[in-house]
Amino acid sequence: MIDSLTLYDRLAKEMADSPNQYELLGDIDMDLAIVMNRPDGSAFRLMLGFAGINCEKVAEVEAGDEANADCWLVGDLEHFQAMFDNITANGQATGEWTLNTLTLMDERILLRASDPMGWDMFHRFNQTLQEFFDGASSVLSSATSEES
Amino acid sequence: MVIATDILDKYPDLPDTNPSGTHLDWAWLAGHESEWGIRPKPSARGLTMMDIAVGSYGEVPEVPKHRAMAARGADIDDDVPDMGYILNKKSDVWAENVSELYEEAVARQWSATRDIPWNELQELPSDLEHAMCQLCTTLSEIEMIASDLPAKWRWRMNHEFLEAKMFLCTQIMDEARHTEVFRKRALANGGGLLKSRAGTESLLRTIIEAKTYTQATALLHLLGEGFILDLFRQGEAIAPTEVEKRIFRMTMQDEARHVAYGTLHIRHSVENDPDVAEEIHEALDHGEHAMVALGGNPDMSTSLALLLAGGAEKVEEVGFPLQQRLNKNQFTSYLARCERAGISRLERTQLPLDKLGIDIEAIKGPGG
Repeated sequence: MIDSLTLYDRLAKEMADSPNQYELLGDIDMDLAIVMNRPDGSAFRLMLGFAGINCEKVAEVEAGDEANADCWLVGDLEHFQAMFDNITANGQATGEWTLNTLTLMDERILLRASDPMGWDMFHRFNQTLQEFFDGASSVLSSATSEES
Repeated sequence: MVIATDILDKYPDLPDTNPSGTHLDWAWLAGHESEWGIRPKPSARGLTMMDIAVGSYGEVPEVPKHRAMAARGADIDDDVPDMGYILNKKSDVWAENVSELYEEAVARQWSATRDIPWNELQELPSDLEHAMCQLCTTLSEIEMIASDLPAKWRWRMNHEFLEAKMFLCTQIMDEARHTEVFRKRALANGGGLLKSRAGTESLLRTIIEAKTYTQATALLHLLGEGFILDLFRQGEAIAPTEVEKRIFRMTMQDEARHVAYGTLHIRHSVENDPDVAEEIHEALDHGEHAMVALGGNPDMSTSLALLLAGGAEKVEEVGFPLQQRLNKNQFTSYLARCERAGISRLERTQLPLDKLGIDIEAIKGPGG
């Protein structure tokens, strides 16, 4: 499920439905791309466009288009899955599974940018990005409940 | 003082003195000579500084005519006094993103009192608590220089560069909050403030005594804040609880904003006045040595290494090697920002790039 638009559309809706939470964190203006490498050699490429206190764009993009984002995260699907599993288990990312820690270690999920200004944007808006992904806790939990 | 005919034609009942006998000209009733009727439109998030940068109000002069506190764009008397500003060229202080960064800073202010989940602090093993307290002691000490340095120069900046001055006000507030939050963390878990050394103070003095704003901003925004940004990233990674994670993430956001100003300010400065490049290089020649020394500050580096190791037992085995690896990230980020700022350090720096394992090609190329 994490390599389909459904999850991110729901995360964007979760963000839109939580103006008080995101208003407190402040506006965010950036495009973040995600590249998840699947075991079969294909990749799920996603563009998330944030503006104000909303995620206004959720779209799959072609190979190479991630470079049009301010910055992008790239890693194997299994590492992203582990990150979302941690979020679901704890209600939010903990320990080594936060976005900053994962990218700082530069092993499982890498932060890349065409421009150092884009790289810095990931840090300027980090708390908002983290809470956006932490939203997967409720989204994925409810999806699991619906399936069962 | 005489009321102009066109004003009297419109408002014939205006008195030419007030009850105390002061003569009046009511000149402001004529409106602005060219901009009356300009009506900026609010954007989706409200009326931003970018929204009101319309007509002549959005024109920031390269060299302002006045050196007064008069509002840029107003009808300004020719005989306004000189306020003693010494930074009177746009290239001295400007960055193309400064209005956006000001709005971002205002929107993303936070409270060290309210926005940190202090009640989630947990008792830590003694070595970890001591290390966190030492790290917070040093950070509380060094963060305030990033308030003091802009404050030292801000009042010497021509008021027509108000957006840059406003942004620096947000930085001063940000750094005050950083001093606050690290002091609070040092005290909040039963530890306290630990060692402060003369060596650290000497390095801070080197920065605060920079002779020009250009040198000061290169040392502070490009070099110092860049390093502290990476230090905060490490802090978030090693944070023992959600409390410290939140502290380092929030401070990291502020720091990245300051770095964004510094990077594009230096670029603007060098593009518009190439002569300052050498001045910046000289400052960074000294600053890099100072930063290496600060990074090697025994109290800060050992406390960080202990936190990276997760305790005293594995400092040598895990802490120091990991710290060396992260130092590489720190210097890589700094050198990449220098490239972006148009002040390449790759040929000039005395940093031991080979020893640090810096990939120069990755810094030069995209995607790094």
